[in-house]
Amino acid sequence: MSEPGSTDRGLADGAGQAGTVEAFVYDDAIVRKFMLATIVWGLVATLVGLILAVQLALPALNLGLPWLTFGRLRPLHTNAAIFAFAGNAIFAAIYYSTQRLCKARMFSDLLSTLHFWGWQLIIVAAALTLPLGITQSKEYAELEWPIDLAIAVVWVGFFGVNFFGTLARRRERHMYVALWFYIATIVTVALLHVFNNLWVPVGVMHWIKSGEMPSAELLLKSYPVYAGVQDAFMQWWYGHNAVAFFLTTPFLGLMYYFMPKAANRPVFSYRLSIVHFWSLVFIYIWAGPHHLHYTALPAWASSLGMLFSLMLWMPSWGGGINGLLTLRGAWNKVTTDPVLKFFVVGITFYMMATFEGPMLSIKSVNALSHYTDWTIAHVHSGALGWNGFMTFGMIYWLAPRLFRAELWSKRLATAHFWTGTVGILLYVISMYTAGITQGLMWRAFDETGRLAYPDFAETVARLMPFYWIRVAGGLLFIAGFVMMAVNVLMTWKARPAVYEDAVQHAPRLTRDYQDEPPPPPRLTNVIAAGHAIDRFMQGSWHRRWERLPLRFTVWVVIAVVVASLFEILPTFLIRSNVPTIASVRPYTPLELAGRDIYVAEGCYNCHSQMIRPIFAETKRYGEYSKPGEFVYDRPFQWGSRRIGPDLARVGGKQSHLWHLLHFENPQQLVPQSVMPRYPWLLEHEIDFEGIQARVDAMAMLGVPYGEAVRRAPAMAREQAAHIASELVQQGGPEGMETKKVIALIAYLQRLGTDISRDPEEGATP
Amino acid sequence: MSHEDRLMEHEYDGIREYDNPTPGWWHAIFIGTVLFSIVYFTFWHFSPMAYSVHEAHEAAVTREFKRLFADLGELNPDETTLLSVTADERWRAVASGVYTANCAQCHGQRGEGLVGPNLTDDNYKWVKRVEDVYTVVANGAAAGAMPAWDRRLSTNEMILVSSYVARLRGQNLSGPRGPEGDAIPPWPSVEGNTP
Repeated sequence: MSEPGSTDRGLADGAGQAGTVEAFVYDDAIVRKFMLATIVWGLVATLVGLILAVQLALPALNLGLPWLTFGRLRPLHTNAAIFAFAGNAIFAAIYYSTQRLCKARMFSDLLSTLHFWGWQLIIVAAALTLPLGITQSKEYAELEWPIDLAIAVVWVGFFGVNFFGTLARRRERHMYVALWFYIATIVTVALLHVFNNLWVPVGVMHWIKSGEMPSAELLLKSYPVYAGVQDAFMQWWYGHNAVAFFLTTPFLGLMYYFMPKAANRPVFSYRLSIVHFWSLVFIYIWAGPHHLHYTALPAWASSLGMLFSLMLWMPSWGGGINGLLTLRGAWNKVTTDPVLKFFVVGITFYMMATFEGPMLSIKSVNALSHYTDWTIAHVHSGALGWNGFMTFGMIYWLAPRLFRAELWSKRLATAHFWTGTVGILLYVISMYTAGITQGLMWRAFDETGRLAYPDFAETVARLMPFYWIRVAGGLLFIAGFVMMAVNVLMTWKARPAVYEDAVQHAPRLTRDYQDEPPPPPRLTNVIAAGHAIDRFMQGSWHRRWERLPLRFTVWVVIAVVVASLFEILPTFLIRSNVPTIASVRPYTPLELAGRDIYVAEGCYNCHSQMIRPIFAETKRYGEYSKPGEFVYDRPFQWGSRRIGPDLARVGGKQSHLWHLLHFENPQQLVPQSVMPRYPWLLEHEIDFEGIQARVDAMAMLGVPYGEAVRRAPAMAREQAAHIASELVQQGGPEGMETKKVIALIAYLQRLGTDISRDPEEGATP
Repeated sequence: MSHEDRLMEHEYDGIREYDNPTPGWWHAIFIGTVLFSIVYFTFWHFSPMAYSVHEAHEAAVTREFKRLFADLGELNPDETTLLSVTADERWRAVASGVYTANCAQCHGQRGEGLVGPNLTDDNYKWVKRVEDVYTVVANGAAAGAMPAWDRRLSTNEMILVSSYVARLRGQNLSGPRGPEGDAIPPWPSVEGNTP
């Protein structure tokens, strides 16, 4: 029996006369645009990746230019791969399939156009700002606050409204499973993006307060409202679920549409799609803390992260088996159709990566894999294998349909498939080997009880052969990509002079819809509750939800928000999670400025600042990191990869002079180092006056500054002069007191030292 | 299973769906992971037998320290100890590990000097007697050019590495810096002090 809730009525059933047949045309032009953008940005993302891969083997490849250093380019690579390549791919998939699944043109052509151009502008802004060192330094959320705002507007205001508007105007009563995944994607990514990007814009606050226009650098700078442990927690709640809801759910939606289309076979199981959709949406959200095992995150959160990751294994595989089993009876087609080849291998990589994910989230496995290239192997089996190959399969299926011409060369597409597959295998196998090698070397002890490889550089040098194999794998993957670009270009050339869009016909939805009758009872001789459970298991209630998009969306939001709050609220509210340490003080104005240089240069891309309570690690780096040490860290800089050594306790470990010479040319001190040279740090001037705005913004966020809120620039100059004079005494050059390197050295020499200071000693700056 | 397949009534843009049940092994593993999670969380967060990663770490530190230094006991940074302890191959190996991890970046892999002075010649800036090597290691010198290590290394480790450094003397390796400070008299001769 139908009893549509009043809130659902508008979305469920378009108002109007019963069943009037209407004529309409699908908007394929917008899909063509997104597909083109996918190819262009995909090439950019992979080429930047290739440059980075070569840089790890040949650090001089940045050509001495600040904009091309690994620390600045790596965020460009990840953002381009995720938001530009995969982003445009899912928009192409969603714009093509949603119209057909809803039997309706997109809600608004204007919104479609704004969405397309808005998104491309965001990508261009990212490509300009990241190499300039304008970054928030939170992985995959590096883009600074004005771009964050633009993303929110484009995602929610243009894309979200356009999509839900199309659902509201649909002419198909029930929503197919692909649309469920699109709904989950849109609402969850919006939530993740907003709550991980809450910040105070440093320059803008200063402008409002003082009326002086700050520099462009300060104007674009922001500090997060979260600090330390909480910032780390929010970041990986975001980072993990960006993988879930940007790289998984929309691609599952893509799979559910394009796979049965390409195979011309029914989907294996409708029930499985219901069960795995809801379990995936509910469980994924909890798993973020597995990125922070053995860190200063509270142990209960770490355990939840691990366990929900284990429970996520089957919900993830549900999608994989539903995709692969759809091919039952059609496996012979895989041998001839490149589209299906890409889909089969793409789904296989998905299933491998979603088995590996839970495995890596087991704490003892993570103790070995974390900070190593194993993680890099894992994400690339996902990104190249799953996202890449699903996208390629879709493009080969779409191109002939969108350009109304036969695919230029099926043989070239097949060649792309094999080249790409070999490329991915070379990539992931070399990185697995590199990761496990490095993890084992870091923890190896010899028989006398000392670290077998006490020199970190030795563990880096050992990876060089694997880095070259990765370069070869990446080259093959890109070669395949170029083959596809050529194939699509040639197919486009064979297009008709004018695209004749077929006119579709479908009746409008009416309000007087009656749901299918509930299934007959399967049980006899049981109490009423038994019948209720039986009815629930048969899922006719879900069938009803499928025609009520608003209700469906509300339940998705509830699933995601409830799961999030279970972890977020205790992390923020329970004081014992972050025990305070009396001797931990705010950074001095100069150290703060140095910290912002550390952030801008992207040092966190290669150096962690988190010593785990693992014997081999405390032996190498010193006392393990405590939660209370990070209360003034905005943003946190724990990092996720150790291409270089951990820096959590680097303070006082080397002299100022060592740091200065090391920034100038790391290889003159550590011959096997792969760190780029930073000679410009010895030339560029510190913006002393701008430090006041930084201190004020921190003070506004509750950092207990004393005299620094009045005279930050003067205090910074005093400390810089002091360090510069010590530098000269150590035999260093004169005249460094105004150079950026001094601020950075001040920050590095402070790192990890508070904990061993007498609480009475020194004053709050 | 194919002969039992029943198609659902609905159809979307030509896509149909089967009414197949979720595979049994899928349910079994899913429920298995849920049950495991309940047991794991209950044990590790509520049972008296559970221990934290920090406790496990402390235990490892104590165990390793005992294993490593049980035969050595607590050393004193006196002349005899500093000059003789790393004559023993075993302690020289331990000391060279400490040296490589902490000292080599500035003083060179073999003590030939780099940012810090050459340790293989007879010239010293802050050392008159061999005990001074330990003092410089522990407290640092030259306005922080030589950092203090007393908060990073254990006393035994500092004594071992000081002894190791003292015994680098006399090789006169050529480094980039040349001799620094004053030439000092040779270390006194003590029992076991043979290279």
